[in-house]
Amino acid sequence: MVKHLGIVGAGTMGAGIAQLAALAGIDVALYDINDTVLRQALERLKRSLNKAVEKGEVSAAQSTEAFTRIHPRTRLADLSHSEIVIEAVIEDVRIKKDLFKHLEAGTKPTAILATNTSSLSVTAIASATQRQEKIVGLHFLFPVESVKIVEVVRSERTTQETLDRCHSFLSQLGRTPITVADSPGYVINRIVHPFHSEALQILGEHIADAEQIDRIMKAEGGFTLGPFESLDAIGLDVSLNATKMLFEASSGDSRFRPHPIEKRMVDSGKLGKKSGQGFYSYEQEKK
Amino acid sequence: MRAGRLRKAASRRNEGTMAKKKQRAKPPKKEPRVHQPDKALVYILGDSPIVEEYIALCSSHGYVVLYDLEEKGQTKQSFDPRLVRKSAKIPSNVSFALELTNIDLEKKRKNLEALDKALPVITAIVSSSVTVSATEQSLWINHKSRLVGFCALPTLSKTSLVEVAPTVFSPAETIQVVQRFFTSVGKEIELVQDRVGMVFPRIVCQIINEAAFALQEEIATPQDIDLAMKLGANYPLGPIEWADKLGMQQVYAVLSALHRDLGEGRYRISPLLRQMALSGTWWKRM
Repeated sequence: MVKHLGIVGAGTMGAGIAQLAALAGIDVALYDINDTVLRQALERLKRSLNKAVEKGEVSAAQSTEAFTRIHPRTRLADLSHSEIVIEAVIEDVRIKKDLFKHLEAGTKPTAILATNTSSLSVTAIASATQRQEKIVGLHFLFPVESVKIVEVVRSERTTQETLDRCHSFLSQLGRTPITVADSPGYVINRIVHPFHSEALQILGEHIADAEQIDRIMKAEGGFTLGPFESLDAIGLDVSLNATKMLFEASSGDSRFRPHPIEKRMVDSGKLGKKSGQGFYSYEQEKK
Repeated sequence: MRAGRLRKAASRRNEGTMAKKKQRAKPPKKEPRVHQPDKALVYILGDSPIVEEYIALCSSHGYVVLYDLEEKGQTKQSFDPRLVRKSAKIPSNVSFALELTNIDLEKKRKNLEALDKALPVITAIVSSSVTVSATEQSLWINHKSRLVGFCALPTLSKTSLVEVAPTVFSPAETIQVVQRFFTSVGKEIELVQDRVGMVFPRIVCQIINEAAFALQEEIATPQDIDLAMKLGANYPLGPIEWADKLGMQQVYAVLSALHRDLGEGRYRISPLLRQMALSGTWWKRM
């Protein structure tokens, strides 16, 4: 059982993982570069925990207790007790490599160092350290509190022991782990891609319009959301970015080619729900 | 705005686009238009198990069904003999014909030629247009205006919606007859352009193809891939479960048709998927 978890980066993903771990009874050292960022993260965490109480998912006592288990930290050295450290900083391979070097120096040699990257090569990040067998990807998906599955990404040198420890840690968090090889998009992002991409292709060829395609995929296919409703919810900028990363990481495989419609819409600021306009209009909802 | 423009395009399509108008301007003189079937005799032929599904659907909605099926000549399930009969001969009093072949297009062509020869020119033929466009099929027969395409794949007969693809030769009356038929068996209709793969088969088969590539690269196990897609992406079924449901040979037929028709690298088929479809081996046994 993991007792001490370190998290680097108190953004949406980092804070989400912190909440999950704290609710599972794990002490969390939550690191970020300064107090301001951490204070904001703690406020968000408090709100989020309160919400979980309102929804009846946890008791008020559990929520309060979980909150006391999250310790804000501004020095990496304060993560030295951690058995596992999860990094959730910006998706930049140079920044992550640099961070892993520091983590390697500042943690126990037995500690597992994990990255929450969704698009970078775990092997590339691991290569910055001398502890490659203990480096792994833990791909939590957004929103962390409701998605029950986590991809455990095996780098070129990750050992089975490390994978096993990650699996039991994720079970401790009430999550279902699956082991995936270190390759572009892993499993989920890669196989979600054709749902959106092929729909864009069909739209681009004027075979059917967006509403028709959504209706067909829901009624004929049993999907909860049609591909365009789904793109509007994810945000077209986010989706386009993920596609670009996939395209690049696969050395330009045409299956992962970004679609001009999506590019054009992002250029024009039609980003989906959050901008009030995507494939559908959300103007009224916004008011 | 895009949706609006497309909707306009869709309504234009119903009236016939400029290009189609030209092609339709002079309907062949000796080709009377089809009329509505009077809930009577339906003739069905094509791939199993789609044939069985459509026999069940039509007979449960009051139609009398005649069918033909090459595979051992027998349906896998049994039907009420008063409503459903096997008949290699196509009687001329059929009011509606369904052709449901996706895999063997030579056989499909022969079936359509036989239907076209046996049935009076007023009888409409709805034909699965998932692996070959309805327009291309209509060129195989003499009375091309009687054929309308639709989406037939295993298990889809159980869903509430059907994709229907009129051809450039389909007059409005034929489309209406086909719409009324699908309404009479309890389905909503979505009119789409007549292109290989249509909408749902194209998307779902590309999902299965991507999963097959991932499997072939040993990115994860088949069970984990299904689990990941259901829990991580809210897919109603995992890609391997979809392949099981539709049948690997049907999936392979759709992907082959897309690759043939679009001739692009993004439609290349996973060699593992191809091998499984050809050998009849299954993901789960691997």
